[in-house]
Amino acid sequence: MSTQAIESLSEDTVRRIAEERDEPEWLLETRLNALSALETAELPDVIQTPGRRWTDLGALDFEALVDPLNQSDATERSAGDDEVVVLPFTEALDEYGDVIEANFGSVLDPEHNYLTALSVALFTTGTFVYVPEGVDVEDVTVRAEMNSRSLFSQTLVVAEESSSVTILESIETGDDEVADDRYFSNLVEVVAGENANVQFGSLQNLDDDAYTYSLKRGVTDTYATVDWIESNFGSKLTRSDIETELNGDGSESQIVGTFFGTDDQHFDINARVWHQAEQTTADLVTRGVLDDVARSVYEGVQDVGEDAWNTSSYQRENTLMLSDDAEADASPKLIIHNHDTEASHSATVGQVDAEDLFYLESRSIDSRTARNMLVEGFFVPVLEEIAVDEFRDDVEELVIERLQ
Amino acid sequence: MSSQQDDLKETDTEARFEFKKEENSAFKSEKGLTEETVRVISEDKDEPEWMLERRLRALKQFQKMPMPTDWPGQPDLSEVDIDEIVPYIRPDIDKRGGADSWEDLPEEIQDTFDKLGIPEAEKNALSGVGAQYESEIVYQNMQEQWEEKGVIFCDMDKAVQEHEEIVREHFMTKCVPPSDNKFAALHGAIWSGGSFVYVPENTTVEMPVQAYFRMNSEGMGQFEHTLIIAEEGSEVHYIEGCSAPKYSAFNLHSGGVEVFVGEDAHVQYSTVQNWSKNTYNLNTKRAIAEKGGRMEWISGSMGSKATMLYPSTILKGRGASDNHITIAFAGEGQDIDTGAKVYHNAPDTKSTVESKSIAKDGGRTNYRGLVHIADGAENSSTAVECDALMFDNESTSDTMPYMEINESKVDVAHEATVGKIGDEDIFYLQSRGLDDDDAKQMIVSGFIEPITEELPIEYAVELNRLVELEMEGSLG
Repeated sequence: MSTQAIESLSEDTVRRIAEERDEPEWLLETRLNALSALETAELPDVIQTPGRRWTDLGALDFEALVDPLNQSDATERSAGDDEVVVLPFTEALDEYGDVIEANFGSVLDPEHNYLTALSVALFTTGTFVYVPEGVDVEDVTVRAEMNSRSLFSQTLVVAEESSSVTILESIETGDDEVADDRYFSNLVEVVAGENANVQFGSLQNLDDDAYTYSLKRGVTDTYATVDWIESNFGSKLTRSDIETELNGDGSESQIVGTFFGTDDQHFDINARVWHQAEQTTADLVTRGVLDDVARSVYEGVQDVGEDAWNTSSYQRENTLMLSDDAEADASPKLIIHNHDTEASHSATVGQVDAEDLFYLESRSIDSRTARNMLVEGFFVPVLEEIAVDEFRDDVEELVIERLQ
Repeated sequence: MSSQQDDLKETDTEARFEFKKEENSAFKSEKGLTEETVRVISEDKDEPEWMLERRLRALKQFQKMPMPTDWPGQPDLSEVDIDEIVPYIRPDIDKRGGADSWEDLPEEIQDTFDKLGIPEAEKNALSGVGAQYESEIVYQNMQEQWEEKGVIFCDMDKAVQEHEEIVREHFMTKCVPPSDNKFAALHGAIWSGGSFVYVPENTTVEMPVQAYFRMNSEGMGQFEHTLIIAEEGSEVHYIEGCSAPKYSAFNLHSGGVEVFVGEDAHVQYSTVQNWSKNTYNLNTKRAIAEKGGRMEWISGSMGSKATMLYPSTILKGRGASDNHITIAFAGEGQDIDTGAKVYHNAPDTKSTVESKSIAKDGGRTNYRGLVHIADGAENSSTAVECDALMFDNESTSDTMPYMEINESKVDVAHEATVGKIGDEDIFYLQSRGLDDDDAKQMIVSGFIEPITEELPIEYAVELNRLVELEMEGSLG
């Protein structure tokens, strides 16, 4: 792909972003490399079957949306504990430059695809979370508001040996009205050291004039756990990839996803896990509801490598259709190279069960309320996987809001 | 169980498929594919002009389309060079359209099918038999009682001559157009042989009809075309068997199958494919089911170097239904990429897919399937179930289903599991006095049983024999 179309996307722009933040030389170089990678990088893969392209990323109008020098956000960060470091990305460079340099890009290659390269070249916000050895914190929160036409965010989480952290991130549209469409790009890297435990929850509820690209990837050391909760409610078009590389023996990952689409929202939700060590476990659970003419695309991949002895890997995806005009595509994939594996996946698409509705109506609950109760109930199995009350309440609230 | 297994052991199945015959042909086309080749084939068959035109159109289509290379994890087709293939070999037989007595065939051809057990099966359990050797049907016969009822079972080339109107209407037009994929286009250009089956209204052909396809020559391609038309309320079961001896050069099999299931008709299509392990098996099989029609695909993919086969059904009429049952067994050097495609285009349609695969000794199996439910196909339901069994760490087992749901009043479910043979299961069987090999064989037989029990007994036995054969060697 070519970058020529975006006028302000030049080496000067990238240098200016880096200079304004007084960034170290290595980061500037990483940004410039990402910028030049744009010339050849491809958009993320989307599934295509005869006669149907599941998501049309080509429709994303970068020329109009990307405005690198006018990025603006309001982000509140709270560590809840002195022992953990939670800083805006650029501020953290002064004190934790070495840790950042050692880990930046180690999980997620900036040149992975066109959108990641664009994001690394231009990011102006994001969070650095550093959990030292043995530290255990539960309430790291990052609440971000997007106040500009485009916003690029880069987050790095480094959890040292035997540490444990729960991070909740949310993104919404701020009060500053931008008349046109918006583009939000969010890259998250998680490095989980030996026996570390990272739970990363993310709640995206941008206005419906936004396009969202989000790629979150974690890597586990021995006995480490990386759990993700990915909730998508907002945006016109969302492409979300949640990925874990299980590189350490005995490591685990759980990916919990929820989405609720109304109007003409389009969600392209992807959950992938690579088993690359012995005795690793993965559990992928996604549930989504579609109303109006909303559309969902789901791809789940469980890839079991040759050296992944004694793997357990599970995947479930369920989509509930509330409207006749909604559409749902799903492709749960198993790629198994080691026979010492127990793997399964399942996917379903259906509507609210008529008998359940009838039962509730027979108890004199009106049909609208009955339907709403059943939809709330549909999300319970994934809500139960969310250990943090606050986050669970937020998700429940958004579900109820959408049912009105 | 044990007596059946002993029976199987005594039958030298390997020898039954692996023998080679000296090449002895009446006409053999040049290697490669040009317009000239297509004209020569058409002329040798004395075809009507419209068929030649269709062939040439398909050839253009073929030349235009790129080789499929961008499917995730697809088999390697880089060796498949169409210019190295001999597309057309007419065996040396007197009568076009197939002899109706085995005795009329040249001895080596007769002997081939004797070894494959076809005449024997014909006597016992079949309504009709067709046998294709290289590019032509050499034997075709059907019991008189069916002929009297208006059932047609003949060689496809003969059908072009004798049932021209109906063939012209249905041949690669609305079911499998050459533009469907590159190998369908190739097939459309140089197809030869195959069967034509026509079952009139409200006629039930009680015993199956069978066609057997045999490739004998090195480096040849077989491109038989099967067209089945089952009129309203009729019922027929078509069985297809395939094999070839192994050569060092590659062979290509690219068959085309079109099935028209009329209102309330029922067609069952069963295949046990045992191509030699140098054969690329790239087929296009599709059925269109009208209102209340029922299509069943039963496929056993045992042979070939690489198979890409996704029988598909278009459920066009209200209440039409489809069942897929597939077994794939990939041993050393084999890549069996197979699955099912179902299009629900009408309300109240139903489909089920049951897939079992076994990978061992470095083989790869993949279930690749598509279920599409169109807007307006209310009350459709589909259930897909895939189970895979892996024997060792060199093998690969993939599952890649795709579901496209454009309708809300549906019931869609997909399930898949992958596992190894349980140590506990083996231990249990060993504690009952079975040795390790027998225990494993028994577990595999049990694993595929839900599928073998759907097959006619001869085929179930055949499939079990082939599985057994595959299981030997590595387990010894």
